[in-house]
Amino acid sequence: MASLITCPHCGTRPKEEFSIRGAAGPERPSPTARDEDWHRYVYVRDNPKGRYQEHWHHVAGCRRWLVVDRDNLSHEVFGVTDAAEFERARVAK
Amino acid sequence: MSFHDLYRHVLEDLVTGFSTDRNANHLAVARRPAILSVLAAAGQETSVAEALHAVENAAPRFCGPSEWLLVSRTLSAEHLADALFDIRGALVVDQSEGKVLLSISGPAVRTVLAKCVAVDLHPEAFAMGQSANALICHLPGNIARTGDDEFEIVTPRSFAVSVFEELLEMGREHGLTRNFTE
Amino acid sequence: MTSFRLTAGGAVDRDHALNFTFDGKAYKGFAGDTLASALLANDQMLMARSFKYHRPRGVVTAGSAEPNALMTLGIGGRTEPNARATVTELYDGLTAKSQNRWPSLKHDFGAFNSALSPFLGAGFYYKTFMWPGLFWEKLYEPLIRRAAGLGKAVMQADPDRYEKSWAHCDLLVIGAGPTGLMAALAAGRAGARVILADEGFRFGGSLLSEGASIDGRPAAEFAASIVGELSALPNVTLMPRTTVFGWYDDMVFGAVERVQKHVAAPSPDLPMERMWRIIAKQAILATGAEERPLVFGGNDRPGVMTAGAVRTYLNRFGVAAGKRVAIFTNGGSGYRTAADLLAQGIEVAAIVDARAQSNDAAPQDVRVMRGGSVIATKGRLRIDGLIAERSGLDEVIACDALAMSGGWSPIVHLMCQRGAKPVWSEDKQAFMAPDVGGTFAAAGSAAGFDTISVCLRDGAAKARAALKALGRLVGPLDIPDVEGEYDPSFAPLWYVPGAKGKAFVDFQNDVHVGDLGLAQREGFRHIEHTKRYTTAGMATDQGKLGNVNTVGIVAGMRGVSPAEIGTTTFRPFYTPVSFGAMAGTARAEHAAPFRTSPLHGWARKNGAVFVESGLWHRSAWFPQEGEKTWRESVDREVLNVRANAGLCDVSTLGKIEVLGRGAAEFLDRIYSNGVLKLPVSRARYGLMLREDGIVFDDGTVSRLAENRYVITTTTGSASEVLSHMEFAAQTFWPELDVRCVSVTDQWAQMSLAGPKARIIMGRVVQDDISDTSFPFMSAKEVTLRGGLKGRLFRISFSGELAYELAVPAGYGEAVADAIMEAGREEGICAYGVEALNVLRIEKGHVTHSELEGRTTADDVGLGRMMAMQKPDFIGKRLSTRFGLTAADRLQLVGLKPIEADKEIKAGAHLLKDQAKPSLANDQGFVSSACFSPVLGHFIALALLKSGRERYGEKIVVWDGLRGTEVAAEVCSAVFVDPENLKLHL
Repeated sequence: MASLITCPHCGTRPKEEFSIRGAAGPERPSPTARDEDWHRYVYVRDNPKGRYQEHWHHVAGCRRWLVVDRDNLSHEVFGVTDAAEFERARVAK
Repeated sequence: MSFHDLYRHVLEDLVTGFSTDRNANHLAVARRPAILSVLAAAGQETSVAEALHAVENAAPRFCGPSEWLLVSRTLSAEHLADALFDIRGALVVDQSEGKVLLSISGPAVRTVLAKCVAVDLHPEAFAMGQSANALICHLPGNIARTGDDEFEIVTPRSFAVSVFEELLEMGREHGLTRNFTE
Repeated sequence: MTSFRLTAGGAVDRDHALNFTFDGKAYKGFAGDTLASALLANDQMLMARSFKYHRPRGVVTAGSAEPNALMTLGIGGRTEPNARATVTELYDGLTAKSQNRWPSLKHDFGAFNSALSPFLGAGFYYKTFMWPGLFWEKLYEPLIRRAAGLGKAVMQADPDRYEKSWAHCDLLVIGAGPTGLMAALAAGRAGARVILADEGFRFGGSLLSEGASIDGRPAAEFAASIVGELSALPNVTLMPRTTVFGWYDDMVFGAVERVQKHVAAPSPDLPMERMWRIIAKQAILATGAEERPLVFGGNDRPGVMTAGAVRTYLNRFGVAAGKRVAIFTNGGSGYRTAADLLAQGIEVAAIVDARAQSNDAAPQDVRVMRGGSVIATKGRLRIDGLIAERSGLDEVIACDALAMSGGWSPIVHLMCQRGAKPVWSEDKQAFMAPDVGGTFAAAGSAAGFDTISVCLRDGAAKARAALKALGRLVGPLDIPDVEGEYDPSFAPLWYVPGAKGKAFVDFQNDVHVGDLGLAQREGFRHIEHTKRYTTAGMATDQGKLGNVNTVGIVAGMRGVSPAEIGTTTFRPFYTPVSFGAMAGTARAEHAAPFRTSPLHGWARKNGAVFVESGLWHRSAWFPQEGEKTWRESVDREVLNVRANAGLCDVSTLGKIEVLGRGAAEFLDRIYSNGVLKLPVSRARYGLMLREDGIVFDDGTVSRLAENRYVITTTTGSASEVLSHMEFAAQTFWPELDVRCVSVTDQWAQMSLAGPKARIIMGRVVQDDISDTSFPFMSAKEVTLRGGLKGRLFRISFSGELAYELAVPAGYGEAVADAIMEAGREEGICAYGVEALNVLRIEKGHVTHSELEGRTTADDVGLGRMMAMQKPDFIGKRLSTRFGLTAADRLQLVGLKPIEADKEIKAGAHLLKDQAKPSLANDQGFVSSACFSPVLGHFIALALLKSGRERYGEKIVVWDGLRGTEVAAEVCSAVFVDPENLKLHL
């Protein structure tokens, strides 16, 4: 019927407003990174059961990319962040 | 011959020629509104937002972080764009032709819209002047509260027929009528 | 025919008679009746035939758990099979038919299955219809299908409307019995937004059925007064006839409202049913408890029903279940039933109490057989007696109805739909609601069957707790006094040993105790296996009545506690939901939204035939008088464009404006070719790759101002490209100051192509568009006659001198008309996407037929678009991988048939001359093909192994699907004007 995601910009919305891209963990390597890094980035994904960070696009709302931190078994959502914020935080680390 | 006389609204055939009686629950189509996408350049988000709220005869609709639709029923797109010219960091894209502006009102308005929008439109949750991008009749649009029982909807032009027909259908039990507003 | 209707009492309006038919026979009922109560009132106890053995069946319950009284309602497109008569609100003109019988309910040939029943035990089908394998599809399956199934769906279209709606609330109360009413009242008075939903057409739940009095008034009157107060509260929404069928993630509840199922003449302005998605901050489950049947020999005979049902028919509908009613009970419900029957002057044959001792007192003069049990029933189409047994002595007791009570099960289905399992309570001998966290609580009987006063108190208390969690304070609520309530506790009795005849556990699927034993003996011991092997709980009622008995009996057979057996899995939907409600408005032409171009009116006027392309309706070709086939029209359009000029709607191409100080840098990283140095007022072809080095999309990039670009995408990839760009901007390079805005809908865009294009365009546009002022790949704002502003691009997909003119959408039709008018003397024509396709194949231009997710830029002859000197662009890094640069990759080539009259079709595979068709011999495939009216024969674009080295080679075009083989010559993909002379006219 529906699941709800609370967009940090738009509020609580049904999942129909979003499209899901996949894991938010992998980080785009630098253009000069090793082949192995690029291979992992483009092709290799974990398939965890449980807590997981994913890129969701709020296509029918603010059109921002979000990082949804949720449990893919129980669908418990721990937090939703703007993906740009997520990247800035990652760079700052 | 000037093209200006030959302008054609996308909903022309669905509005003109239908009864002009106006029921309590009503769907009005703005014939020539000005609708601009306004985006703030990096670092100018706050100043652009403030400036937009100060523009006369126009209302900013929130779309997302540092992005708005600026809507005016009285100004032309050119005039509205001119008014924004001096706002530093405001990136402006004319959408007056790419969007259709609808106004739906009446005592049953929330009942009708609940069939079209998942957003909670109760006044406690969606106050006067509030606006949001959302799926409206299955399609991305913007909804704003413009009165106790009145909401404004911005919908993409190419889908406007679909959205308009769905709104009418959902308003059928409440006798929703339609017209153009100039 | 005897009337079983009492002269007074109940919530039916005896002044308002309703006519209805059952199996063609006319009956009368009253407003306020259900179909079942009206049939009972008319002495129609026989209502159905069972699924497997075709045994005669009567009604067992008075509610939504009914397993037996399933009927087909309505006629024509409004036919609804498997409707439960117990929850069908009677209306004037209702037509009902029994199911699963032939030729009639009384005389059913299928009943011979009953005689065969020793051979039809659990697993019969699995064991029998196994061999030989071929027989399954041809013989067994059709045979079983004909014999199985209850009601049948009809083929006519459903004439009614359906819709869906969202709802939001602080507190959702599910069930409007004593618990739910008090919960809603407590929260409603506190000002919270409350939704109170109940599947019935009258609020009150058990208060309508019980003989108790509350605050000195009959319980039903008390319920009505609460409903009255609730309906006056603006913050409370009452939803009768609404079944909350599912609990989903994030406190979303699914519900279906039967808006006019009960209306004799439905209004065309209202939906028949409405599907609700209710988003609740808190919810209370006040669904009450289900009375368990007792499992004894002949417990399925018409006239045997639950004691609670007997009371409901009596107290709520004023209908006596029989003239002389026997009672078989293991708890207080049976005694309460006896008292209620006596109060209405109905004879009670006896109370057979399975317990040796109890505190329950029988009404005066009613015989009680303590420590007794019913081991068999008698009668054919209706019970006429039972055999009771006590201390080894059998006794026949005459009766025409038997009320049974096997105790109570809280109705906890909704709470268990998200994975939590119900919890066995030794104390209550029932499965209780699990703890599912702080937002959803069971209350009243759903939390453990109890007395009315406990329910009233618990409803208010749970509402208070729910609102407290939301930070709202709820004042105390006076709990009224209840008189005449009974204690519903009971001693467990899973089944009665010594049964004569079958003792049914699942009535609807005809599963009896023997089947459960067989399943245990044959190793299907896990409850989920037992369920599937015996089909217990797999009928349309999902075992609402029988599942707990199944668990109890299996536990008994295995000598363990029901806790150890556990329950099967609860899933939505709680009761069946129609497909109409699920589809809502999404049917026929509204199955998906449709998208129209601003030039749709222009195309229609010019006679276009439209084709669906994604959600768009695009003009495909423009037939003229005398043209019999689409090819004739397309050929004419192509030749006319090449010779004169044509106008085509290209508004559906994706258009994205890219703005900001970082726009140039951003686009340079998005496209594989260089964009950074593109001057203002110039356009460029652009290629986007995916990160894996494969081509993603192509289009044009035009620089409108220093920090403003407009790019185009293919029609089909427009939204994907925008998402991709937003992803890159927001996650790869958030430091770049760049924004992307879709302007697809803002512009009507038309392509004017052909050697006469400039002359014609010059008549509409005021600016100088000579080749010197506006050369190939120019892009700038122009002014049209009368001052209208537009954007003009000198770009070409057809290979001809061509312009794309974009004007504000509302002017599109007028401008296209003006161009047609301006070009009339030059012989302009309208052309559609089919002609456009031929024009681009003749020029070797690629589309998504070639950019099909496996090709690199080099594969399709666009290797020059790879600006490898750029430090980074999406797809750069992996584009140089060995696999993507191998010498034998498929490369874009042209094909022409060696015999000029032969046709080549897209999808055909390529073989070396003389080679046999096999995967190993596959050399590639035809990606696009068409008849070229310019060349006078078919041409094709193909992807061929090392194709560019093989020009001149003879190759076989093998089309296994259509069974053709055509010899073709490999050639350059550019068939027309290879030097591009026409572009630069």
